[in-house]
Amino acid sequence: MTLTINDLKSKKQYADKSFSVIVFLGGTGILVILAVIAYTITNRSTDAFRIAGFKFFTGQKFVPNGTPPMLGILRYIFGTALTSLIAIVLAVPISLGLALYTTQVAPAWLKKPLVALTDLVAVVPSVVFGLWGVIYLAPRITTLYKHISSLCDGVPVLGSIFGKVGSGRSFMTAGLILAVMITPIITSIAREVIETCPQTDRDGALALGATRWEMITRAVMPHSIGGIVGAVMLGLGRAMGETIAVALVIGSSATITSNLFSSGDSLPAVIALQWGEANATAKSALIAMGLTLFVMTMVVNFAAAAVVSRSTKRMQGAS
Amino acid sequence: MTSVMDQTSSPAPVPSSELLDDLVGVSGRRRTKNAVMTGLMFASVAIVAIVLGFVLVTVISKGWGIVHTKFPHWFTDDIPPTARRVGPGMKAAIVGTIITTLTATVIAVPLGIAGAVYLNEYGKRNLFARLLRFLTGVMAGVPSIVMGLFIYVFWVLPRHQQGLTGLAGAFALACLMLPIVVRATEEMLKLVPQNLRDASYALGATRSRTTLTVVIPKASPGIISGCLLAVARASGETAPLIFTVSVGASAVHATNWNVFSGPNTALSLQIYANAKETLASAQDRGWGAALTLIALAFLFTLVARVLSARLSKKTQ
Amino acid sequence: MENHSVNSSRKRSLAISGILTLSLLAAACSSDSKTTTTSAAATTVASTVASTAASTATSATEAPGSSDATATTTGDTVTAPSVDYSSLSGTLAGSGSTFQKAFLDEAIANLADQAPGLTVSYGGGGSGKGRTDLQTKLVDYAGTDGTVKPEDVALYTGGDFLYFPTVIAPITLSYNLSGVDSLQLSPKTIAGIFQGTITKWSDAAIAADNPDATLPDTDIVTVHRSDASGTTQNFTTFLEKAVGKDSSGEWKLGAFQDPTVWPDGGQAGDGNGGVAQIISSTDGAIGYVDLSDAKAAGLAFASVENKAGKFVEPTLEATSAAAENATIKDDLTFNLGWADGDASYPIAAQTWILVYTKQADSAHADNLKAFLTYLLTGGQTLAPTIDYAPLPTSLVAKALAQIDKITS
Repeated sequence: MTLTINDLKSKKQYADKSFSVIVFLGGTGILVILAVIAYTITNRSTDAFRIAGFKFFTGQKFVPNGTPPMLGILRYIFGTALTSLIAIVLAVPISLGLALYTTQVAPAWLKKPLVALTDLVAVVPSVVFGLWGVIYLAPRITTLYKHISSLCDGVPVLGSIFGKVGSGRSFMTAGLILAVMITPIITSIAREVIETCPQTDRDGALALGATRWEMITRAVMPHSIGGIVGAVMLGLGRAMGETIAVALVIGSSATITSNLFSSGDSLPAVIALQWGEANATAKSALIAMGLTLFVMTMVVNFAAAAVVSRSTKRMQGAS
Repeated sequence: MTSVMDQTSSPAPVPSSELLDDLVGVSGRRRTKNAVMTGLMFASVAIVAIVLGFVLVTVISKGWGIVHTKFPHWFTDDIPPTARRVGPGMKAAIVGTIITTLTATVIAVPLGIAGAVYLNEYGKRNLFARLLRFLTGVMAGVPSIVMGLFIYVFWVLPRHQQGLTGLAGAFALACLMLPIVVRATEEMLKLVPQNLRDASYALGATRSRTTLTVVIPKASPGIISGCLLAVARASGETAPLIFTVSVGASAVHATNWNVFSGPNTALSLQIYANAKETLASAQDRGWGAALTLIALAFLFTLVARVLSARLSKKTQ
Repeated sequence: MENHSVNSSRKRSLAISGILTLSLLAAACSSDSKTTTTSAAATTVASTVASTAASTATSATEAPGSSDATATTTGDTVTAPSVDYSSLSGTLAGSGSTFQKAFLDEAIANLADQAPGLTVSYGGGGSGKGRTDLQTKLVDYAGTDGTVKPEDVALYTGGDFLYFPTVIAPITLSYNLSGVDSLQLSPKTIAGIFQGTITKWSDAAIAADNPDATLPDTDIVTVHRSDASGTTQNFTTFLEKAVGKDSSGEWKLGAFQDPTVWPDGGQAGDGNGGVAQIISSTDGAIGYVDLSDAKAAGLAFASVENKAGKFVEPTLEATSAAAENATIKDDLTFNLGWADGDASYPIAAQTWILVYTKQADSAHADNLKAFLTYLLTGGQTLAPTIDYAPLPTSLVAKALAQIDKITS
């Protein structure tokens, strides 16, 4: 059989068409998967919402085996928020310092090793940080906690923040571990943003007699602040969703307290730890917690995206 | 370092004595501030390096013993059946991690690349593509534990005991990898110059042919390194596997090469299970598994670097 | 291809288990010396136990071919069904109680030497997990420390189920208090500690229980379970029985298993191992842990005042004494908490394996029967080597008789 030009053309067109269909389906895959996730999770959550109503978010006790079952998750939301906050407070200055040192201060030969250092931290799996945290760090850091606690004893605000020390497993330890984990995320995005700051801006600042620090605060930061805020929000989203490392070091004893050295619990940790023993009601409640967590991280991520896109627009407008 | 500082903070030569006095005062403060801040920036580098060093030294010093004793039994023996038993054996978890991650890669990478090709070559700025881009962002933000819950409810539960397989774990990992692969690939496709595509069209090539023979090969170094970084990330994940590959984190000790049937285990699960044990014999295996997992993740990252460097040289 | 690889891995696992049994021997000897230093009172028990361990392990390695199970013969003889373990093949999956996990792990490992074709796994995770996993048929058997609530029976989609008692063991009150190596506690004091009304080790109530001890002014850190747990259920059931929940009673929390019922400010660990881990690393800590895990972690534990008013150490003998006085129901359920008798340890706990009467096919039924037979025969001699007390012989006989109810 001989092929005519037309045959070839139609074959070619056919291949072209089917290829476009395949990639279209690939793109739709994300839509489908996400839709199924949203449907499955929401569907399974309804029982818990029906039982607890709005008290699901405001109730403090979570006793799914009780009669009647109590399904309040406020303590877990608190724990998630507090540990993420500690992580952000600790990680932001360090990440910024690392990013600024790498881009503005370090000599050329040191830049690559510094980038590698950041990437190396990112490569260590979270469960390894958890193992290190629970077996190595927690028992040893209690001495430090007790020292801080006794120093702050009686001081109005500090006394209640750095209060009684139980075991080393606490909000603070979880926050520390999370801080280590999100530092590379914030650093690498911040570094990329800072590097887009035009050399002319920096030279201009220096030519006007600014010190390096003034150059950073007056020229580099105004340019990069939007991107950096976005990076921080992404780090926050990651910290909120981290499960295993937190589950190992937080102490799994849900409380709402100002004492950072107290044991607590967080949404993802409680899902991982209580899923196995959960009855039908509890399973539904845990899935609803997953949904809550999903929505919380989504809000943070959207806020991050909005901040970043606004700042890029503003920058484009300025230049 | 001091020379750079001197350069950048040279005082302004103003003759007026009043102004000069003022400037000198300010300059001193500014100088100090500059020095202090530079010091703090360096301190943050030092903190990160020290913490990483601490973690790595602990993992290596505690893990090396068990990996090293009776070498190569760590890699060839199944995991001892009870926590009390002393000695090496982590083959089941190493095999489990490799086959689940590999299966996840086989699922996520083609799908992700196809999705990215659609976004960048076909959809571009149309409404659907913009929606998909937005959803990719949403999916990237889904906490890994939620992915585990999803696969448990959607896949494991209807299949009862037969649902707990490496495949279920691979599905959960693939869900995590997918948005990373799409994003990385789209970024790389964006960087391919438009004139390459135009040249290909001018030669009569169709869009599919252009994409497959010009655009993707040009972007391949970046795509490969992006995918391998996603693999490195997935190989260390624990939360999506807890509910999906076996009944409990420490339930499986024997090697299972079959990803489609039978429960499995993974290095991350073994670390998690052993982190909750008091026995030195179990904790030792936890550290050993941590060392193995870090080594594996480093290997993926390293291969990503080398491969992308090589390929980018070749395509240039 | 697949068969071949399975075969070769079987051979390898046989060889490995041989090596492991040898290393277990070494471990048994070395752990014995450790026990002597941590708890002087338990020395005699520990050494006899260790020698039993050695002999059991040796016989297991020397005669892996002997396929017939031999029953324990203390006093009256139990007619042990003869099972040809070597001909079994298939898999059995289980999850549940961490209280009996160390025992099941050990028993499964030893059974693997005799039944190389049978792969039994036990995932732990807590009694609640075991029961829900069995409800949804995620597992073939569930380990549970508590009985199924009447309202939950309908959830068991596989139909009727049977209780098989496996071992009994004391729940210790393990503590970590520098300078104090022997401690006595009355149920009232324990209730006060775990309700948060007693917060210092120097409290008058603790001092009253320990007239001879010098107690430091350390804060008490209570450690409980973070997962819904049968051990919690048994521990709180003991407190409810001993201290009472009526208006005059000093235990207000009742008997429960949810971890969230505990008052604020405590620490929580995942599983018995998790609790032991926190106690061993925290000065001033006290928590409830099974004897096996407490000993493995090298923890010190308190003597507890029993119903007869005697302070009794958590030993296997004291547990067996409690079991002798227990009333066993027709379905083989019983509760050892707050038992009568001078020598009974008051927080002894029981644990069962829960299985469906009706199995999917005859292979599953046979495997399950063989596994249960092993636990009730060979397993019972293994129990003391890892700090569990064997069941009373009369109970073993009843349980063995019940195995025939399993059908396909």
